Amino acid sequence: MSHPITGNRRSILIYSLVWLMVSVTQGVLYLYVLHLPITVVIADSLISSLMFGFLGLLAWYPTRYIPFQRQSPIYSILAHVVAGIVVLGAWVLITMVLLNAIFAYQEDYIKFLNQTLAWRAMLGALIYLVLVLIYYLVANSQKLQERLQQEERLRGMVRDAELNMLKSQINPHFLFNSLNSIASLTMSNPDEAREMIIRLSDFLRYSLKHRENEYVPLREELGRMKDYLAIEKVRFGEKLQYEFIIRGECETFLVPTMIFQPLFENAIRYSVYESVDPVAIRFSCIQELESMKAVITNDYDPGVPSRRGTGVGLQNVRQRIALAYKGKGSVDWTAQEGVFTVTILFPRIYL
Amino acid sequence: MDIIKTIIVEDERPARDLLRNYLQEFQDIEITGEYDNGFDGLKAINELKPDAIFLDVQMPKLTGFELLEVLEHQPEVIFTTAYDQYAIRAFERNAVDYLLKPFSRDRFREAVSKLISRIKSNQQGAVRERSNIEKIRQHFAESDEKLHRVVIKKTGKIHVISTNDINYLEAQDDYVMIYTNDGKYLKQQTLKYFEQHLDSQQFVRVHRSYIANIACIERIEPYEKSNFVLILRDGNKVPVSRGGMQVLKENLDF
Repeated sequence: MSHPITGNRRSILIYSLVWLMVSVTQGVLYLYVLHLPITVVIADSLISSLMFGFLGLLAWYPTRYIPFQRQSPIYSILAHVVAGIVVLGAWVLITMVLLNAIFAYQEDYIKFLNQTLAWRAMLGALIYLVLVLIYYLVANSQKLQERLQQEERLRGMVRDAELNMLKSQINPHFLFNSLNSIASLTMSNPDEAREMIIRLSDFLRYSLKHRENEYVPLREELGRMKDYLAIEKVRFGEKLQYEFIIRGECETFLVPTMIFQPLFENAIRYSVYESVDPVAIRFSCIQELESMKAVITNDYDPGVPSRRGTGVGLQNVRQRIALAYKGKGSVDWTAQEGVFTVTILFPRIYL
Repeated sequence: MDIIKTIIVEDERPARDLLRNYLQEFQDIEITGEYDNGFDGLKAINELKPDAIFLDVQMPKLTGFELLEVLEHQPEVIFTTAYDQYAIRAFERNAVDYLLKPFSRDRFREAVSKLISRIKSNQQGAVRERSNIEKIRQHFAESDEKLHRVVIKKTGKIHVISTNDINYLEAQDDYVMIYTNDGKYLKQQTLKYFEQHLDSQQFVRVHRSYIANIACIERIEPYEKSNFVLILRDGNKVPVSRGGMQVLKENLDF
């Protein structure tokens, strides 16, 4: 944060004008109420105002570097008192020394000067206090501005990250192959083509909702996964078999949106894409006291070397569960005797 | 002009239906077979020797590219795929056409008329310097896609080998001998190709004529004066050059 007064030309001007006015007021008082000689009036008003004006600028730094803490204000207040005494002390000392030196021969004035010392110090303390309060206001509004800007930046970053996630989740090949199937069905079976378009729309709309990163009842999540599988079934026919075993109480259990999509996609990519025989994908879930366990299995041919390396899909799901449940919950997988099994443990959440 | 015999190799039924429907209007084109995986397609192409094939890329058992690698008979090729990748530019010059799914009837007609004119010019006896499939193979070799499996033809059979099962590879003129626990396989390819396409974390070019799978190394022994030799888990020995030793040191961190 830059100094709110010296930071720009306009505030320097205003600040100088304020002090000029203070100086003029003081001078008028001296001249017409106390009837001091004009040279004394000008010197005293100018020197004390100029000095305070300069020292007052320094009061910004304790404000800037001692943030006011609501929990322990005593420390901040003490720091300001110390800083205030230093500034005031310096001001009183310099003004007194200067004025004493200039008007050493005018004994009356020196006497007046010494008499008004306490009064000057008190007035100075008051002005100092006002300055500090103004500085705090300025500092707070600057901080608020900065925080708002930072929040906006962060929000943008989160949006981008989520959009990237979205991009990686809906496989464009899935989309184009599905559209090709629809193109074919419009000639051979228009009714089925229409159904497939509706399923694809429902699934895409749901995947866009994912941007909000919310939780939905298992029923809704699985409904869209069934759309996804039904679309793939149009492409692969009897080769793709699937079965859902859902116990009633699981249906309302809350899960993150699209959490199962990468798992079903993997099951299809690594087994159905690579197989000429029927492949079964099974989903089941059991609700426990404070959690739900979901298991997805699919057949695979252990004898066929995969064209692909190991996917990042599973790692992504594991990462997402870890983030969403702050380390609780888990994702594990095994490949045994031609069956690939993924087990997810969802802790219960309360919204 | 004679009837053009074609074969469709495509794993999705609706996609095959679409091709058949689009082909109906062409009296000169006959579909002699439809296959839903690379293996069956390969066999049928070698037996039926069609003039042209409609070939999907992503398929079970063998991909379209892998199928072309081991094909004996060389028909004209029209790719049909949803893959919109760098490969397209490379292939479209040598394949008759590259149809991106979904494609329109007009786009399909365009591909077929290209096919017909190419077959005509072939029949008129235009001498081809190098077959188009040879060029497609070449382009495939130049792509930078990582290799996870290798397709090899051996005594009439097609073998699909996971790269994890390869112990080491040896250059033999225009061929590469691939050694696995189940035997050795000869593949027409350069060692440089394998060096570029195998996972460099796993495979190291230890010698001008050898690439070794790091996971298969049992120990490294000194050999003659300043050379070394790898002793593999299966007992085979692989010579290591001075440069190869350097790369091994970096990879194995010793």
